[in-house]
Amino acid sequence: MKKALTAIFLLGLFLLCIYPLWYLAQSLLFNEGTFSFDLFQAAFNHSLTYISIRNSLVICSLTVLLSVIIAVPLAWVLTRSNVKGKGFWRTIFSLPYAIPPYIGAIAWVNLANPNSGMLRPFFSGINVYSSFGLVFVLSAFFYTYILINLLSALEKIDPSLEEAARISGATPLQVFCKITMPLVTPSLVTGMLLTFLSAIASFGVPALIGTPAGLSLMTTQIFTLQKMASVNGLRLSGALSVILLLISSSVFIFDYIVTKKFRFSLVGGKSARSSFVELGKMTWPVNLLLGFLSLIFFFLPIVAIFISSMAKLQGDRRVENLGLQNFKTILFDTEETYRALSNSLFLAFTTAVVCCIIAYFLAQMSKKSSLFVNRLKEAFIAVPYAVPGTVLSLSLTLVVLAYRLPLYNTLGIIFIAYIAKFLNFSYRSINDGLLQVDDSLIDAARVAGANSFQRMIKIWLPMLKPFLMASLFLVFMPAFSELTMTVLLTGPGNETIGTLIFQLQEYGDASGGGAAVLSFLTLILIIIMNATLKVLTKGKYGL
Amino acid sequence: MSSVEFKNVSKDFSGNVVLSNYNFKINDGEFVSFLGPSGCGKTTSLRMIAGLENNSTGEIFIDNELISSPEKKLFIAPEKRKLGMVFQSYAIWPHMNVFDNVAFPLKMAKVSSEETNKRVNEILEMVELKDFNLRMPNTLSGGQQQRVALARGLAAKPKVLLLDEPLSNLDAKLREKMRKDIRTIQQYFKITCVYVTHDQVEAFSMSDRIMIMNKGTILQFATPDEMRANPADAFVKDFIS
Repeated sequence: MKKALTAIFLLGLFLLCIYPLWYLAQSLLFNEGTFSFDLFQAAFNHSLTYISIRNSLVICSLTVLLSVIIAVPLAWVLTRSNVKGKGFWRTIFSLPYAIPPYIGAIAWVNLANPNSGMLRPFFSGINVYSSFGLVFVLSAFFYTYILINLLSALEKIDPSLEEAARISGATPLQVFCKITMPLVTPSLVTGMLLTFLSAIASFGVPALIGTPAGLSLMTTQIFTLQKMASVNGLRLSGALSVILLLISSSVFIFDYIVTKKFRFSLVGGKSARSSFVELGKMTWPVNLLLGFLSLIFFFLPIVAIFISSMAKLQGDRRVENLGLQNFKTILFDTEETYRALSNSLFLAFTTAVVCCIIAYFLAQMSKKSSLFVNRLKEAFIAVPYAVPGTVLSLSLTLVVLAYRLPLYNTLGIIFIAYIAKFLNFSYRSINDGLLQVDDSLIDAARVAGANSFQRMIKIWLPMLKPFLMASLFLVFMPAFSELTMTVLLTGPGNETIGTLIFQLQEYGDASGGGAAVLSFLTLILIIIMNATLKVLTKGKYGL
Repeated sequence: MSSVEFKNVSKDFSGNVVLSNYNFKINDGEFVSFLGPSGCGKTTSLRMIAGLENNSTGEIFIDNELISSPEKKLFIAPEKRKLGMVFQSYAIWPHMNVFDNVAFPLKMAKVSSEETNKRVNEILEMVELKDFNLRMPNTLSGGQQQRVALARGLAAKPKVLLLDEPLSNLDAKLREKMRKDIRTIQQYFKITCVYVTHDQVEAFSMSDRIMIMNKGTILQFATPDEMRANPADAFVKDFIS
């Protein structure tokens, strides 16, 4: 019975997470039963697709470079120096992780477009529609992968490892170069690869900034080919997807090897860090730099979105131009808004709940299953999370069409894509939770006379609550504002907040400020949800 | 050559007094233990000698040279104090092999590579880790890591060797052997040692003098024999018996 159940779960996971990708790959590799690389040859020979591959690789590598330059010094200052307000800075610099990058792209378009950018009067040469603009906006969000990885690694290092080096005669700079950096290198590499993966998988930023700048990336090229929907175009976009899939999987395998080989055990004796490097004369410059960076990465984009949402006429800088007109138009006079909002809320909520339930059963399995089954299960869950959303939605579409499932152009297919993509978040938090509830705690309640219902209500649920909360929030937030996958799966009447914002910004009248209004409201929702999560889980989850 | 002296040293941490008015002098070549229950201020005192923590008031001297005085706004950074230290967690750098760990203080002091080689091999032989040069720390037992830490602490001929509960993570049998070995090595180099412990057996079997502390004050600073004969107060009497 147990075995059959395990088998059913594994089969379900396989069908959800692996099979569509396999179907996509094999449908392109096997041409009428024979194996061939012809299509990939074609993808490389076709100038548009070739250029998009090259652009993606170059732009994303530069993004990783800029992200390292931003994140490494920040991580050091926020963990090793005696700078004041570390908790505050940490939250500010980590928040871009939770903000949908396409909202950031809209903010930067408003700030630095060549016609009416808000920063034009101060920096006349500024133009977001450029390769640097694209790299910059991508970095402004994806540096957080490096930052968050480094912060946690730097905090885990036993302080005495660094103190021992000081006593041995090393200056703080020497300690950083010879001890700290080598110890966190595996985490840095992981962060860099995640940044690369997120950048290469991202759709919103390349579409809103790259495309107007004449830079097509793999994701935007796939989107364009899909929308044109010619037979040759569809095959090319499929080939491009498989190439994107191959690039991301090799990055993941590389990361697996690096972390496995070089991860040091960093756990130390005393966890309290008693000594920080005194900044001394550098206190003011460092604070100034933190202020400046937080302005660029956090406050400026939010203010820009806010002003655009209030501006009756975009680019008009007078105070009289501000008002709530746009809010009224988009919220009450636009039919799509209501549809998009209810679709997004419905999808995000059901995805969060269903992921939570599936993840709970999958995590429960861990205690009883063999190591092999657990490995397999975790690999299945991790694959769709790692695979670029564009590829995932394309492969789902193919399967739905091939088997004539009545899901094409419905919310159903979007829902399935979200489950596959976000199950990983649920699984990880609930697994963490179950690890905390030791069997002996339940047994103790049993001995104390609690029946199974009482045990669940009094012991199990209260202990697991923060993790269940985290699971729900961590799925709800990205699902609510998802764009990359939805934009390929959506059809008429199936707008979500993400696709509506995207449409308004791309095709709608930008002067209406509708995209800015919805972006602003989404931002507020995400910031509030993040703060709530942080309070509910006492700082364990949330930024 | 090296003494350690505290003059009117106090430390408070956000209003709480951690140490109040410490006055003592550890003589050159002496082995002194700081003994007391946890939270008594022994580790803080040691870390203040190392420069890993600041004193709030008073003056600290090493070798009769002033190294910390908040009143005079003087603070010599830990890396300039020429000390050696063995940590409770050993703090062996996991990304360096045994040789590189032990050679690190010598490299920082810009000792020539031949001299470094010679010295590291000498000291590794002394701690019974000959031929361990290329081993990585994660392949060593706790006792062996402990010896690497000791070798590293001694490598650059420090003025004072500081030991922060170095034996607390070892099993009983190994602990007894290490006690003897540390004492032998200390007497061989005639190096000043400050040894933090909460274990009175350890303190009594190793030290020339013992400083017993409780709640941030020094209760008694005397030789083991004196302390046994004339304990300063009821707490001392109780703690050492």
